[in-house]
Amino acid sequence: MTLQGLAQILASGLLMGLIYALIAAGLSLIFGLMDVVNFAHGEFLMLAMYATFGIVVATALDPVLAAPLVVGAMFVLGAFVYFAVIRHAMRAKANIGMVQVFATFGLGITIRGLAQHVFTPDYRSIQTSFLAGRTLDLGGVFLPLPQLFGGLLSCLSFVALYFIIRRTDFGRALEATREDAGAVALVGIDKNRVFALGWGLGAALVGIAGSVMAIFYYIHPDVGTPFALIAYVTVALGGFGSIFGALAAGLLVGIVEAISATILSPSMKAVGIYLIYLVVVFMRPRGLFGNL
Amino acid sequence: MGRATVLLEVSSLTTTYQGLVAVHEASIDVAQGEIVVVAGANGAGKSTLLKSIAGMERLRSGKVTFAGERIDGLAAHLVTKRGIAFVPENRRLFPRLSVADNLRLGSYLFRGEADREAPIERVFTLFPRLRERLEQRADTLSGGEQQMLAIARALMTRPKLLMLDEPSQGIAPKLVDEIFEAILATRSAGVTVLLVEQRLLESLEIADRGFILQTGKVILSGPANELRDNAQVRMAYLGM
Repeated sequence: MTLQGLAQILASGLLMGLIYALIAAGLSLIFGLMDVVNFAHGEFLMLAMYATFGIVVATALDPVLAAPLVVGAMFVLGAFVYFAVIRHAMRAKANIGMVQVFATFGLGITIRGLAQHVFTPDYRSIQTSFLAGRTLDLGGVFLPLPQLFGGLLSCLSFVALYFIIRRTDFGRALEATREDAGAVALVGIDKNRVFALGWGLGAALVGIAGSVMAIFYYIHPDVGTPFALIAYVTVALGGFGSIFGALAAGLLVGIVEAISATILSPSMKAVGIYLIYLVVVFMRPRGLFGNL
Repeated sequence: MGRATVLLEVSSLTTTYQGLVAVHEASIDVAQGEIVVVAGANGAGKSTLLKSIAGMERLRSGKVTFAGERIDGLAAHLVTKRGIAFVPENRRLFPRLSVADNLRLGSYLFRGEADREAPIERVFTLFPRLRERLEQRADTLSGGEQQMLAIARALMTRPKLLMLDEPSQGIAPKLVDEIFEAILATRSAGVTVLLVEQRLLESLEIADRGFILQTGKVILSGPANELRDNAQVRMAYLGM
């Protein structure tokens, strides 16, 4: 393999990895905050893609410009899901873990069913973006502009996330709530508000990913499922609840996927991801950056 | 006695804990500027009483009035907002956050205000060693220092009433003195104190009045010096 070929694989892997990281970050944020795995995360992604598609069709805006609207709507959806479903699931008196699993799993199935009904199972795609079909030629390494835009947005999101968590009162409240949700009332913080904002932020992050992916993926009701699976692996790899672990793990997953697609075959790309997952989980069960 | 205005009034409070009655028809009151101690054996319901006032346990019956307004039934974070700061038995610090972050969270209610950190100097005067440990994680502090941080965090919420659950528990004797002195200094700064303690003798020394709880009921109450001289109290709690 030429050096150029290798660079191409790494670059494609990194760009995809940045998207995976973005999807996983929302999942990890919610898990770290309240020990709830959002099994409807893939459906959140799917909804964000449809939302982007809907805005583009309705307004003829470029999908890039539709993104802020989509992200805002996803934030509201996340907070709504907390108040409408999760808060009640957390009040379960027995088998609380199972109740939470089924509450979010059932929510995912419900959203997918509704999407089948409302949007039909037809595949849709957006072809109007000024990014679509363009590539950046970097000395023989070709970077598709939509993916490059996605990677850039992902980087910016992680910088913003870092700033929010480390430098703002909301971030400090988030950290305190994940440390001891029962104690934040002692300083006057309403944990339900923090949980709802956490769900909003988690959904907004996957919303960013969805609004970018809508430019270069087919949109259909099941589109989120494989990405959600990769996100669960990414979260476990990076360490449950560690947002920046999700970033590192997302990059790793993207690169491993690109390499195994090349040396094995494109249909085998999941095998490489699963192998690296097993290696990390056997050797370091808490994940790369976990502190559980 | 001609006491000043009543700040906290708990009347006929009953709370169940895991199906059992933990506090039974208990009535206590705390006047502005007082230090009041609630004492009693293990399992007498002292902690449950404080948690009930703080909104962390649901009352079965009774009412709690603070600064003239009913606060029973309020969510715990709203009780804090009304001006009651609670330092629970296990302190409930945010262990992996720094001392500075724990203190900053204490002033969360005043975020966006220019004088947000106003109480910090008083807190450092009370507990100078906290200033030296600002960047340390809370869980690396000694037991006594953690108790100081918990009290300091509570004071950052600018309370009218500070409720402390066994602040001397599991702490080196030298630091216990420091904490009792800090309680006196806090009162001098205008904060009313409601204290639950097993160390009855020491706490009656700094308190104005006391209530003795037994199996969830108030069996005795009065000025601290009277309780100290009470034969029954001396027998049962002071071992004299």
